[in-house]
Amino acid sequence: MTELLGIPPVLLFGQLLIGLINGLFYALMSMGVAIIFGMLRIGNFVHGAQYMLGAFGAWFLISLPDLFPGLGLPSLGYWWALVLVPPAVAVIGALMERVFIRRVYNLEHAYGLLLTVGMAFVIEGLFNVKFGAAGQQYGVPDLLKGGVNLGFMFLPIYRIWVIVAALVVCFGTWAVIERTRLGAYLRAATENPDLVRTFGINVPRMLMLTYAFGVGLAGLTGVMAAPIYQVSPQMGQSIIITIFAVVVIGGMGSIMGAIVSGIGLGVIEGLTKVFWPEASSTAIFICMALVLILRPQGLFGKETSAHSGADITIARRESILENGRIWIPVLAIGGLLLPYLVYPVFAMKILCFALFACAYNLIFGYVGLLAFGHAAFFGASAYGTAHLASVWGWSPEASLLGGVVLATGLGALFGWLAIRRQGLYFAMITLALAQVLVFYAVQANWTHGEDGIQSVPRGMLFGVFDLNDMMTMYFFVLAVFLIGFAFIYRLLRSPFGQVLRAIRDNEARATSLGYSTERFKLIAFTLSALLAGVAGGVKALVFQIASLADLHFMTSADALLMTLIGGVGTILGPVVGAAIVVTLQREFAEFGAWVIVVQGAAFVLCVLFLRQGVVGTLENWLGRRAERAREAGLSRRDPAE
Amino acid sequence: MTDTIIETRGLVRRFSGFTAVDGVNLKIARNSVHALIGPNGAGKTTVFNLISKFLAPSEGQILFNGRDITRTKPAEVARQGMVRSFQISAIFGRMTVAENLRIALQRPTGLSMNFLRGDTVLAGLDGRVDELLDAVGMLDWRDRPAAGLPYGRKRALEFATTLALDPELMLLDEPMAGLGTEDIERITALIAGEAQRRTILMVEHNLSVVAELADRITVLARGNMLAEGNYADISADEAVIEAYIGGDID
Repeated sequence: MTELLGIPPVLLFGQLLIGLINGLFYALMSMGVAIIFGMLRIGNFVHGAQYMLGAFGAWFLISLPDLFPGLGLPSLGYWWALVLVPPAVAVIGALMERVFIRRVYNLEHAYGLLLTVGMAFVIEGLFNVKFGAAGQQYGVPDLLKGGVNLGFMFLPIYRIWVIVAALVVCFGTWAVIERTRLGAYLRAATENPDLVRTFGINVPRMLMLTYAFGVGLAGLTGVMAAPIYQVSPQMGQSIIITIFAVVVIGGMGSIMGAIVSGIGLGVIEGLTKVFWPEASSTAIFICMALVLILRPQGLFGKETSAHSGADITIARRESILENGRIWIPVLAIGGLLLPYLVYPVFAMKILCFALFACAYNLIFGYVGLLAFGHAAFFGASAYGTAHLASVWGWSPEASLLGGVVLATGLGALFGWLAIRRQGLYFAMITLALAQVLVFYAVQANWTHGEDGIQSVPRGMLFGVFDLNDMMTMYFFVLAVFLIGFAFIYRLLRSPFGQVLRAIRDNEARATSLGYSTERFKLIAFTLSALLAGVAGGVKALVFQIASLADLHFMTSADALLMTLIGGVGTILGPVVGAAIVVTLQREFAEFGAWVIVVQGAAFVLCVLFLRQGVVGTLENWLGRRAERAREAGLSRRDPAE
Repeated sequence: MTDTIIETRGLVRRFSGFTAVDGVNLKIARNSVHALIGPNGAGKTTVFNLISKFLAPSEGQILFNGRDITRTKPAEVARQGMVRSFQISAIFGRMTVAENLRIALQRPTGLSMNFLRGDTVLAGLDGRVDELLDAVGMLDWRDRPAAGLPYGRKRALEFATTLALDPELMLLDEPMAGLGTEDIERITALIAGEAQRRTILMVEHNLSVVAELADRITVLARGNMLAEGNYADISADEAVIEAYIGGDID
């Protein structure tokens, strides 16, 4: 058999075919995400879980007799699934919109994303509880079994069917949105919902139907994917991050953009598998980085107007709970007592994550940038520190420093790339970039794949303090935490911090006063990465391990949840949040997969009911009480006023 | 130094098919008050955004003190001495009145990148803060959160913040929009007072204010320059009267 470019054609065309099919799935999915984002301004993170629902729906239908024995239910095959499941998933989507998503339309976009992250955790967690991590098999329908031998390769009929069907759906959707009256309304409502409302169109219903449609597409993709991939609870989580990257690359400008970039990226990914297998999982993310450098608005995106910083609730600066002069000593004393009240290892875990959450709060709470991949910095430093300490035999302080330098460098790089886009895009980009590190750590030698770097030596701090002694280790962690906390507190009240406040308040005005706002944001992002790196490096020394979990998206989500529960933009919030979340994780650890469900539910509840977090709510309550007291005092003194 | 502080050459700005500004050649004389007027949709604000670099021109060139700033970033032109205001009052609502001014005064100090020192290093600016507040009659409001100010006071604060940078060229985007008579008088007096020291380019709908303040007026209509001259010339110009019929001449 002849070879093309030194590659056997079977391999080349085989991978091209896989790439094309993956690309079509990307196209279908990113189309749904793009439509939902365009219309609802919701970054639909739960899209992956909805795709998973589609695949499981197909599996349910075919397994009905096994799932409900004794009811005499028929086993409904692929074609039934194709007809029944997408509408069913769409109805679930409509309900989710109705009950949850609708409540956050008028809030800052960040909350929509967080809400859907929570819902994704709940759905995927529940499926994990019920079905475990292992995948279910779903057979190819009889009608589409077999294949065609093209001479240079074998082409399974089911794949031909997927290609044709997906192309029809893609271009059908494009035609509806770009060429029909209904589509015109949709596009108009995207631009200006209030105006469309005056035309007498029921905008809330239209939004619900749009969401349902996008979700239905995910369900359909799931059904079509079921015979190709394993049907497993995790299948959505791995695809959603790729989809976000595709959306960033394609830009929000057009449906065609989503289709073309989805297919194109799938094919590029397939070709990378042939020519440079190690890079195949990161190919799409590298494309994303290149697009951000060369054409930040995305390949098909229009220049969007600058979106101001996230308008997350802000602490009452004058509140007693914001006064570091009181709280730094209080935290120091509390920290000294803590290891006598709880298990020292547990206390150290709280401190590590509290510092990590404080670092996250710096960028999310005070700069208003919804970073979504802070685990990258936490994990990179953990790996760096662990490697330096165990392989190079460096002292703990030097290893830690090395890890932090690594995290800071990555922070500067990721920040430089991501700062080109704002709002939800910023979240998607940081998430995607962090994912690159996960893939890297899976493959690289020095990171030891799934095992991670284990048995990291703690060593002698400054050659004097033996960190193998539990309490010595604890006091070192406490000292690092307090320094980090004080550093952030100082930063927020420095001239630099004042500029950050100004940028948060009114970025355009800050620019017009001569501040290059992006530079300030980038510095803040880098400092936040630095502190996340400190937390990650210390964690590696405490637990003597650096693993994929440190880099994983769930770790980024942890920091976010801690900040959110405690109170975004308050100095104490992340500390309180870390204590709550770490405790919850411990309490629910014995219930296994339920932890994720609980965390997801916590996200949803916080977004819906506790947006100010524990500390923020407390500050508001104290503030209002003080105001009432002041007013009462005034009216007593001067009744005329 | 030339007598022209700002010059635009063949300035064009298109928004997906619609040409908002179509070949505008402006020359703003140093130390003058120059007003841009015109009916709604004439392209005044677009020209304004182009000059202040908040929008990039589709075609044409902009010179500031003879230097080409067509590709310069907005923060950079601000540092070169061209500071703009905004149509909707641009203040930092969560900061106090004094902090609003201090953030402007802080910029030239070079301390803004410093994140390790407390903001007490900025205490030296407080004297100037009070002077500026005094100048706009807002000393009593010093420690109030800016968001809670009455609208007229917000505009006065914005004006004072712009002044704090001592700009060579001040760009005022509809400084009188949304103000009552009393506030208009106060802001007019403030602008007139500053006109001695710097160049002011303003977009303004209120023609009596324009008549009182402006040395020179450019009338825009449909993205083109319709007429230019002093108030007497402009108000006698038939093309201008035509453009304003049914328009929003006050």
